[in-house]
This record gives sequence, structure tokens and C-alpha cells, in this order.
Amino acid sequence: MSDHQDPSANSAQSPAASRRRVLQLGAIGAATVISVRPALAQTAVSVMTCEIPVPDPSRASQYVAADGSLVAPGTPGAVPGAAMPFKGEDVRNVMTHGGRLPGTTAEQNEAYVNYIRRLRSGTGGFTCFASIQMPR
Amino acid sequence: MPDAAPDPVYHAPPAATLLRTPLDLLDAIYDRRSGLTHLVGEPVPAILDALAAGPASAADLMQRLADDYAIEGELAALRARLAELAALGLVDARAL
Repeated sequence: MSDHQDPSANSAQSPAASRRRVLQLGAIGAATVISVRPALAQTAVSVMTCEIPVPDPSRASQYVAADGSLVAPGTPGAVPGAAMPFKGEDVRNVMTHGGRLPGTTAEQNEAYVNYIRRLRSGTGGFTCFASIQMPR
Repeated sequence: MPDAAPDPVYHAPPAATLLRTPLDLLDAIYDRRSGLTHLVGEPVPAILDALAAGPASAADLMQRLADDYAIEGELAALRARLAELAALGLVDARAL
């Protein structure tokens, strides 16, 4: 014997608002995300000294556009790649606290940071970049 | 009158960047840029869906969410969630 609960048939009277799902925003001090490490071999020590070349050495002749994509040399608005790779620690500091990568102008910094953000597995520096993303 | 820092505007990453899969109580979000997988609970999926409609400040986002949900919690809690997501790279906090 089951109780048949008849939901309100007066749909004309019930505004959509009263049937909205509740969304809890959570406690201010709580963390709501668990981040899972990829299985990479970087240790905590090597994160500080691992390097990210901009761009990948196989494409060293290309320029870096402001959005981080690689473009033909001389493309307006794009900058040449960095002469030296950046240290993982420097990249992490910039991405966490802002500021500029060492030795860069504002224009270069924007292009390089966006390039680094777009790194994919298989591209030089990806493992280093993924390591600096590790939550503490 | 003291100058308060303007509220950041939060941007969802480009559509192809995050791969999301619902897992009963949680969503799994794989970030192709970092290679990290994040397990997220309420209200993160709702926040990401609301930002997909376009960038928003915390206050604007609160309005957007209130259109679809009965919100439990203050704006300060939403700011805390957004700060957490920005720190993980799941949203971008920008001046504009």
C-alpha cells in the first residue's frame, strides 16, 4: 500500500521560483575541490629548478602572440621567444602572485604566461608546468 | 573616501579546456592545460555553468545563480568559492 503523493496540480499558481533547486554555497573557510595529481615523476625539490622553455625548442624560431599561440616570426603584436628557459619556481610565483617573469617586458610576460598556460603533454616544459600546479 | 580594489571579473576557460564528467555526488573536471583532475562538489558545477554564459563579477554571478536556484549562503561564500577556483586555474580572475 503506497501513499500516492500528488504534487500540486495548481501549476498556474506556483511560480517557477518556488520549485527552484536549492544551491548551497558552502562554508567560507572550507575547500570544496580535491585535486588529483597526475602520475608525473617530478619531486618537490626539482619543481624549483625544472625549466620551461618558451617556446618549445623544436619551434624556437616562431614568435609568441599575446594569447600564447605560436605565430610566424615578425607577426605584428607577437614577440620572439625567450632567450633562456624559465625556472618552474619563477613561473609559479608569477601565476600565483602576479608580476613578471624575470627579464621580460609587460608584453613579453603576457605572451609567455599565456603560452605556458596552453602547454600540452608532449610539449617541452609541460611536465614542469604540471608539477607547479600541484596543490600544496 | 578610500579606494577599494575593484571586484575581479571571473572568466570561464575556453570551452575545450575543461573536460567535465558527472559522478553522482561530484563532478570530475580534467583540465587539459595542467593535466590535473579536480573532483568538485556543489556549488562548483553550477558556478561553472553560470560563467559559461559570459564573464561576471561575484555579485553578478550571484544574481545569475539566483535566477535558477534558491541560494543558501552569502556573497562572501561565493567569493570564497571563486577565489578557490581561480587559485586552481578553473576560472580566470581578471580586472575586466
